[in-house]
Amino acid sequence: MRSDTYTIFFTLIVTVILGLLISITADTLRTKQEINEDLDIKKNILSVLGYSHSDVEWTSNKIQSIYENNIKEIIIDSKGNEVQKPDLSNVDVLKIYQSTENGLLSGYAIPISGKGLWGTMYGYFAMDSDASTVKGITFYKHKETPGLGGEVDKDWFKNNFVGKKLIDADGKLVSIEVIKGYVSNSDSNASHKVDGISGATITGKGVTTFLKKDLQKYEPYFAKIRKLNQIDSL
Amino acid sequence: MGENPISIHVLGICSALAITTKIDTAVVMTLAVIAVLSISNTVISLLRNNIPNKVRIIIQMSVIASLVIIADQILKAYMYDMSKLLGVFLGLIITNCIVLGRAEAFAMQNSPGKSFLDGLGNGLGYGAILISVAFFREIIGFGSIYGKQIITNQMYLSGYENNGLMILSPGAFFILGLIVWAHRAYTKVLDKE
Repeated sequence: MRSDTYTIFFTLIVTVILGLLISITADTLRTKQEINEDLDIKKNILSVLGYSHSDVEWTSNKIQSIYENNIKEIIIDSKGNEVQKPDLSNVDVLKIYQSTENGLLSGYAIPISGKGLWGTMYGYFAMDSDASTVKGITFYKHKETPGLGGEVDKDWFKNNFVGKKLIDADGKLVSIEVIKGYVSNSDSNASHKVDGISGATITGKGVTTFLKKDLQKYEPYFAKIRKLNQIDSL
Repeated sequence: MGENPISIHVLGICSALAITTKIDTAVVMTLAVIAVLSISNTVISLLRNNIPNKVRIIIQMSVIASLVIIADQILKAYMYDMSKLLGVFLGLIITNCIVLGRAEAFAMQNSPGKSFLDGLGNGLGYGAILISVAFFREIIGFGSIYGKQIITNQMYLSGYENNGLMILSPGAFFILGLIVWAHRAYTKVLDKE
């Protein structure tokens, strides 16, 4: 029988060595991991804004160059005014990714996040240059169950959002609701609703809630855009 | 042949269901399991005469968990997209009964060299099943093998359809069941000879 001191000593040494190995690994690989994450974010922003990669392969260089050539990052404050020299440590600043196609403004993307069923969900939401038609939605990080809530990142779910309308006839922001079941064609509000995910009602409700919350944060800015567009088209 | 961890001992099935929808995820998972299994077996075997009995399981788990964390970190750095596809299941290798099972049943009583080979062997056996399941699920469920489309457009147009059931968990259960059945029948034949 070994003494208790030996047991404690042994366990301590093993723990320290293992901890050391893990820290060294994590530290050495951190930069590479951060580059990967950054590239993944850029890929997500490009895909939610409609840049497809079915025809051409997206290497990291391609992603960087498409992003740099077509995406402009705008920082705004909570009142919807563009901030020129943003203090990014200030949590109240909001980011918008503006996309251009052949020199013309083609869309806006905003980061969205909120509570799903099992944890926080992170994604991007894009709208057309009219700031009222949905261009796309993606979820790049979440803890939902594969096959249930995890379906949010499937094409069938995401494609249902494309073409939906964010504002009602009075110009008020109503966002998009993930309903339970299928959206009926005869529903007068069908343009503000998408089909739900079977077995993932709470995830769907979560998405509805935080999508609206995030859109409301940006509403001061986008309401101005819509007004400007109205004036332009007069 | 008579000792395959999944078909004979029926261990480690959980991840077999989740990540075998395509062959590429199954291959990466297999490599991760082989690495963790052989290294943890070797390390635990090296320590086997010094581990106090009271904390035996805890020490084994710490070694395995650390290896799994390191594997996850490496994957996130060098195969980022794959790490997202595997998601939590890479971390769940620690719960894979095969790893702790072999550590306790073999590595604690055998030399490092033998333990390493035991880990390698079990990992390869596990991988063989995993990749077989993935092969069937991918070809029947997606019409491709290792990402390469096999079922041609022509066949789709003439009425062939991908079997959606294969992509869901029940599909994995069916294929796994058939493989276990086939393997055991074959082994019985071997025993009789």
